[in-house]
Amino acid sequence: MASVILVRCVRGARAVYHPALCLRQGGGGGVRPAAAAAATTSLLARRDFWQQRLVQAPGNAQCVQWRRFSDLPPLTPESIQERVFHVLKLYDKINPEKLQVTSHFMKDLGLDSLDQVEIVMAMEDEFGFEIPDVEAEKLMCPQDIVKYVAEKKDIL
Amino acid sequence: MASTAATRTASGAFKAVKPLISRDIDEAKRRVRELYRAWYREVPNTVAVFQLDITTGQGRDKVREMFNKNKHVTDPRIIDMLVIKGKMELQETIEVWKQRTHIMRYFHETETPRPTDFLSKFYYGHDP
Repeated sequence: MASVILVRCVRGARAVYHPALCLRQGGGGGVRPAAAAAATTSLLARRDFWQQRLVQAPGNAQCVQWRRFSDLPPLTPESIQERVFHVLKLYDKINPEKLQVTSHFMKDLGLDSLDQVEIVMAMEDEFGFEIPDVEAEKLMCPQDIVKYVAEKKDIL
Repeated sequence: MASTAATRTASGAFKAVKPLISRDIDEAKRRVRELYRAWYREVPNTVAVFQLDITTGQGRDKVREMFNKNKHVTDPRIIDMLVIKGKMELQETIEVWKQRTHIMRYFHETETPRPTDFLSKFYYGHDP
């Protein structure tokens, strides 16, 4: 997750940096909600959005607040699944071709119980919250992990 | 002794023994997993604090090897005892009561492997 975000940030910063057009007048509260909406769109759309805002800024009294406070993209089941697969593909004991949503760690992928513990720990590091062992021992396929994380983060 | 054991298991009545910490095998396995998690998280700190010449991956493989050595154990009391010993080792490693040599003893770098089959033992010497 961290590596993906860093790459995006570096690519985005070069496109957005226009100090000459930044007008710091007043609160600038009008741009903040727009920034939050922009965070969910793709990188290219975001860059175009900011360039549009900067073009409109000189005629507009509203200040262009391009200081974006870091916020994670909102969690959806698809994004959770993508992140889970990303982490699992990085694990060297798993064959990436054989990996499916419902592939059982022990029966299909031939992993150990200690391997499963390592996978759960990698998920803890990825999503940033502790998974107690009572519930961790039940997470036996990627589908279970996605459902568990969605449940814990209160997503439908 | 074997016949009484056979009659006991045939009748289905197992001798009830007082558990050490965990009441059944699942609880004992849970403790093993907790210990493995603690060791897994501790290895990078150990490599940094003791300035070991191994990589974190090698350290974690060694932890896995030590755990796999006792994979065959089924008695919850023995598992509990091994977990207690593992926790003691972990505490000594975390608190830096050990030294680099004690950690590297797990790796057996300078030991020559002992002979296992008959002919090697015979060439090695007559001591059994």
